[in-house]
Amino acid sequence: MIQVRELTKRYGAKTVVDRLSFTAKPGQVTGFLGPNGAGKSTTMRMIVGLDAPTSGDVLVNGKPYASSKAPLREIGVLLEAKAMHPGRTAVSHLLTLARTHGIPRSRVGEVLDLVGLSTVAHKRVGAFSLGMGQRLGIAAALLGDPAVVMLDEPVNGLDPEGVLWVRNLLTGLAAEGRTVMLSSHLMSEVSLIADHLVIIGRGRLLADTTVADFVTAEGVRVVTPAPDALRTTIAGPGITVTSTGVEELLVAGTSARKIGLAAAARGIPLFELTPQNASLEEAFMDLTRDAVEYEASR
Amino acid sequence: MKITPGGVVAAEWTKFSSLRSTWITTGISALLLIAFGMIASASLSGDNLTSIDLALSGSALAALSVGVLGALLGASEYTTGMIRATLTAVPRRLPVLWSKSLVAGAAAFVTMTIGAFVAFAVGSAVLNDKVAGLGLGDDGVLRALVGAGLYLGLVAVLGVALGMLVRSSAGAIAILAGALLIVPGLAALLPDSISEAITPYLPSNAGSAVMALTPADGTLAPWAGLVVFAGYVIVTLAAAAYRLKRNDA
Ligand SMILES: Nc1ncnc2c1ncn2[C@@H]1O[C@H](COP(=O)(O)OP(=O)(O)O)[C@@H](O)[C@H]1O
Ligand SMILES: [Mg+2]
Repeated sequence: MIQVRELTKRYGAKTVVDRLSFTAKPGQVTGFLGPNGAGKSTTMRMIVGLDAPTSGDVLVNGKPYASSKAPLREIGVLLEAKAMHPGRTAVSHLLTLARTHGIPRSRVGEVLDLVGLSTVAHKRVGAFSLGMGQRLGIAAALLGDPAVVMLDEPVNGLDPEGVLWVRNLLTGLAAEGRTVMLSSHLMSEVSLIADHLVIIGRGRLLADTTVADFVTAEGVRVVTPAPDALRTTIAGPGITVTSTGVEELLVAGTSARKIGLAAAARGIPLFELTPQNASLEEAFMDLTRDAVEYEASR
Repeated sequence: MKITPGGVVAAEWTKFSSLRSTWITTGISALLLIAFGMIASASLSGDNLTSIDLALSGSALAALSVGVLGALLGASEYTTGMIRATLTAVPRRLPVLWSKSLVAGAAAFVTMTIGAFVAFAVGSAVLNDKVAGLGLGDDGVLRALVGAGLYLGLVAVLGVALGMLVRSSAGAIAILAGALLIVPGLAALLPDSISEAITPYLPSNAGSAVMALTPADGTLAPWAGLVVFAGYVIVTLAAAAYRLKRNDA
């Protein structure tokens, strides 16, 4: 379990993480989403104590990370590809971490097997591709058989087969009851595996939700010859109706089922009644539009 | 399975021994010590030069070389990004600095002590006849040879501390070379009264005092000199520890 509480990080005058709170729970995959520069990596560095928060705090499995007697058992992290010395072999790199905790050499072989790097175990990591570096980073994260696995943009540089492999690995780890958290700036990378979504923009929490809830928030498209009659029929607190065409309405704040029942009760004909499964990607972009830090100039 | 001081030392030893560059630099340091000792013993003579001075005449270059080794070990954590992995495994941080210093210092001490004895043996064998030979049993000889190992071991620790402090290989090496080689030259440019007062306490002068058979004019006593040099190392280590603990990785 990761508990982030009112976490704030400033670099000089710039607030990069702004009073951020969320919890990543065991048995779930938490997708940590936000545009580039939103503060995801900074948050993850603070979770394992590499960066000190300006204020707020983080608990990993109920306690501050640095107070753990066996940190590698608490949480395994992949922060950036190739956070390793290029002159060492894959085995030596993992051994330098394993030795700190007295983790046996056999475990190093196991995790190299698991990530598919056994054949290059004795090659120097300087010669590794970005994808192989990511796999070695994931092997390092799994070394201590940790209760929490936290990966920053883990599918960067992986080929499609590698992406699928990461997905299966992470859902498997969550199914074993571990806390899994992964970050991405692309909704498509996490929507298939995440149960829980934490979306940030400019360091602030924008949404703490589930994949299912996040899409249904979009609204329902209704086509009817009597839009004005329907409007008055379904009006209510929290419900917004927007006209999107001569006979078209977009209704947010209620369900297709309720709109259909209300229309039937008044005898209003409906030609179309479609929950707007506006792609997750679109919903994500809508939510973060104002928070994009580096926008393409147009 | 938990983190232990011995485990962190073992991990740092794995880091040290798993890089080819470590072995190359260590080998070069020993070679410099022995080769210069041999050449000087065969060819140089002078008023106050003893056969120990000649045998250890490579010590200044060997010091630079083991210092660079330490600096690279410390700074490469940052230049490669390895520090992130290192500190997630050891989030208390300071054990990493102590263990890295211990490993680099002990490795340099062992190899350079052996190197000093070899340089003395080889140097004695080829010693030119204008200089009187010495044996291991003669006054101060053992102290000078073991002292050379201790001084060079401390230089390696100084390198580690500088590397971890400035986080850049070039910066650490520049400071190291400046402190060991350039500062004594600059001090000589000062007015005599000031220069004479501070020269014995400059890092390389103080540290080298332990390698002299008898203290020359204007140098510290052997062990006093080594203690002064150890003081510089401790202060640098303290600064490195402070930065390691306080700054973001
Ligand atoms: N050490 C640092 N000093 C100054 N600014 C930083 C530092 N690290 C990150 N930032 C800034 O913080 C913001 C968030 O960065 P980051 O956490 O890497 O975002 P993300 O991982 O979501 O792309 C960016 O604007 C970045 O430039
Ligand atoms: Mg990032």
